[in-house]
Amino acid sequence: MTAGRPVVSVSHLSKKLCRDLRRARWYGLRDIAREWLRPASTPPHSLRAGEFWALDDVSFDVAPGESLAVVGGNGAGKSTLLKVLYGLVKPDGGSVRTAGRVAALIELGTGFNPVLTGRENVFINAALHGMPRREAHAMAEEVEAFAGLGDAITAPLQFYSSGMQARLAYAVAAHLRPQVLLVDEVLAVGDLAFQRKCLTHMRQYVGAGGSLVFVSHNTYQVQAICSRGILLERGRVVFAGTAVDTLGVHLEAQQPAPAPADGAVIPPAGAGALPVVIEALSPGNPRGGELRAGEPLRLTLRYRAHERVKASWVFSIWTGDLLVCITGKQSPQAHVLEPGRGELRCEIPRLPLMAGWYLLRAIVIEADTNCVIATLGWDTPAAVLHVHEPPSLQRNQAMSASMLMSVDVNWEVV
Amino acid sequence: MTDLPLAGAGMDETVYSADSALRSPGTLVREMGADARAGALLAIPLLVNRLQARYRRSWLGYLWLVFPLLATTAIWVSLDARRIVGVGQTELPYPLYVLAGTVLWQLFVESLNAPLQQLEGARSVLLKSRVPHEAFLFSGALEVLFNFLVRLLVLVPLLVWYDPRWSASFLLAPVGVVSLLLLGTALGLLLAPVGLLYPDVQRGLGVVTGLLFFLTPVLYPPANGLLGSANPVTPLLVTARRWLAGGDVTAAPGFAPVLAAASLGVAVAWVGYRLARPHLIVRL
Repeated sequence: MTAGRPVVSVSHLSKKLCRDLRRARWYGLRDIAREWLRPASTPPHSLRAGEFWALDDVSFDVAPGESLAVVGGNGAGKSTLLKVLYGLVKPDGGSVRTAGRVAALIELGTGFNPVLTGRENVFINAALHGMPRREAHAMAEEVEAFAGLGDAITAPLQFYSSGMQARLAYAVAAHLRPQVLLVDEVLAVGDLAFQRKCLTHMRQYVGAGGSLVFVSHNTYQVQAICSRGILLERGRVVFAGTAVDTLGVHLEAQQPAPAPADGAVIPPAGAGALPVVIEALSPGNPRGGELRAGEPLRLTLRYRAHERVKASWVFSIWTGDLLVCITGKQSPQAHVLEPGRGELRCEIPRLPLMAGWYLLRAIVIEADTNCVIATLGWDTPAAVLHVHEPPSLQRNQAMSASMLMSVDVNWEVV
Repeated sequence: MTDLPLAGAGMDETVYSADSALRSPGTLVREMGADARAGALLAIPLLVNRLQARYRRSWLGYLWLVFPLLATTAIWVSLDARRIVGVGQTELPYPLYVLAGTVLWQLFVESLNAPLQQLEGARSVLLKSRVPHEAFLFSGALEVLFNFLVRLLVLVPLLVWYDPRWSASFLLAPVGVVSLLLLGTALGLLLAPVGLLYPDVQRGLGVVTGLLFFLTPVLYPPANGLLGSANPVTPLLVTARRWLAGGDVTAAPGFAPVLAAASLGVAVAWVGYRLARPHLIVRL
C-alpha cells in the first residue's frame, strides 16, 4: 500500500429517501425548484413526511492502495452509499471527495447500453473516460481476453446472461485503470472461475496502489481482499475497524438473540401442583468469566420440590430458533429431591459449540414412573446460552456457514 | 500490474455535496461541455442501433415514416378540391403546401417529444451509470433529422414537379428546419424533468400538440387574431416551408425573435435538466 492523501473522503454524508411514491415525486419537484430558485440556500436537514435517512452522518476515508469493505444487512444503505460515491445520487448533507478516475460496478450493466454490442460498449466506455482511440483499441483487446466471451463480444448486450454481463462489466472497469474501484455484489452472478479471476485481479489492483470499496455478503471474498471495513445499519456507521472485526460484529448481530428467560415461570404450590418445579437452568464457566467455545460448560438446575421425589434430569441444547436440538443428555442415575429448594449440576468438559446464541431446555423425570414431572423451555421460556469466541477469519467463516459445532481434527501431511 | 499514480499527484478532484450546481457555474459549464463531447460520441451509435432494432423487424420499415403524411395530404387535397373544406388561397400549390407543412409539423412534434421519449427509454441505463444523458438527447435530435430527411425524399419530387428551378431560399431551408428543431427541443427539454416524474406530461403533450395542430398553418393559411399571432410555431413553420419550397427568401414576421428565444430556451432547458438530474435519478 502506498501512502498519500485519501482518494475517497466522505464527510458527514447524509441522504434521505421517501418510501411513498407520490410524495417522493412531489418532493423531487420541490427540490428541483429549490435548486433553481434558491441555489444559495442550504437544503433543510429535517425529514419530510414519509422520508427516512438512507445514509445518516457517514464519514470515512479510503487511502491509496487501501481496500474497504462496506458491510451491513439488507436496507442498510450500502448500495446508496456506492451510488453517492459514484456521483449518480446527490447527497442531502455532507460531502464526498474523490481523486482521479472512479469506475463502478454498482449493478450489472453499469455504464453499458443494452442496445450496443459488447465491443461497442467497451469503446464507448473508453471514450467516456477520455481514453484516446489508440489506447481504447489496446484496452479493448485486453478486455476481450480477460472477459473470455469469445464471439459473444459482437452480440448486443441485451442477449447476454447475467454472468456474461458481469464478466464484461468487471473486465471493462478493471482495464480503465481507475484510481478508485467501487464494486457492489456483482461478482455473485459470475461462475467460480471468473470470481477467482476477479478476486486475483482485485488483490493485484490494490497492491499496485488502487483503492477499492467493496460491498459483498460473501465473507470469504471480503476477508480475502479487504483490509478495513465499516458496518452500516439503517444508514449509520455503527462499527469501523479491520475487515475481520467488522464482519465479526456484523455476523454476531445477525444471529437472533433469543428472548432471554431469567428463570422458569413458577406456578404457585397448591392443590394439583406438580411435585417439582424447575426454577432456573443457568449455564456458567467453571473457570469464571464468559462462556467460550472449547472450554468447560457447567449447567446448574435450580428446583423447588413440594414432596420427596426420586428423579433424574435431562438437559438439551437447541438452536436459537428452537428448530434443531443439537445435543442433550440424561443424568445416568436418579437423585433424591428433598422438599424445598435445591440444585442439580453437570459439567461438559469441553463445549464443542461454535460462538453464538443457543437455548437450553430441561426436564425432570420421576424414576419410578418415568413420567415427566417438571419442564423448562417448553411451556415456559427456555434459558439462553451465549458462547463467545474472539473475531477471527475462521470464526467468521464458520458463522457465515451456520456451523454449530467444532470438532478436534488431526491433519495429516501426505 | 503497473503502479497507479498517487492521489493528489495532479489528479482531478471531484466533489459531490448538497449544494446547488449553480453555486459553481464554472464547474457546471465545464461538466456540461465534457458531457456534451462525450455524448456526441455516443449519439450516432445509439441512433444506428435504435433504427436497426426498430425497422429490422418491420415489414414496411421506413415507409411508415411517410405513409401518414401521404394519407393526410391526399385527404385534405381531396377535401379542398371538392370544396368540402374551404381552405382559401395558399402561397404554394395546395398539395405542396399541405405536404411540406405536414413534414415540417412532424419535425416540430417529434423534436418536442424526443427528449422525454429518449430519456424515458434509457431509464435503466441512466439509473445505473454515468453515461451522459446528453447522448440520448443528441441521439433523439439526430433521429428527428433522419426522419425529416426520409420524408424529404417524398417531398422533393413534388417540389421538382411544381417548380424545377433553383432558388436561393434552398440555402436558407436548413435554418428554417433547425429553428423548428430548436423550438421543439427547448420546449421538450423544459418539460422533461416533470415528464419523467409524472407520466401525465407525455399524455398531455399528445393532447396539446393535437390542439396546436389546428392553430398552426399546416393545412391552411395563417389565421389572424390573438391565437394565430401567439403561436410561436407559426413564423418558424411558415418561413421554413417558404424556404423549402423555393419561394420568397424573406422570413415571416416573428421568425428572428422566436428563433433567438428557442436558442436561449435550449440552453436554459439544458441547464435546468442538469440541475434536475440527480433529483430525478433517485426517484425514477
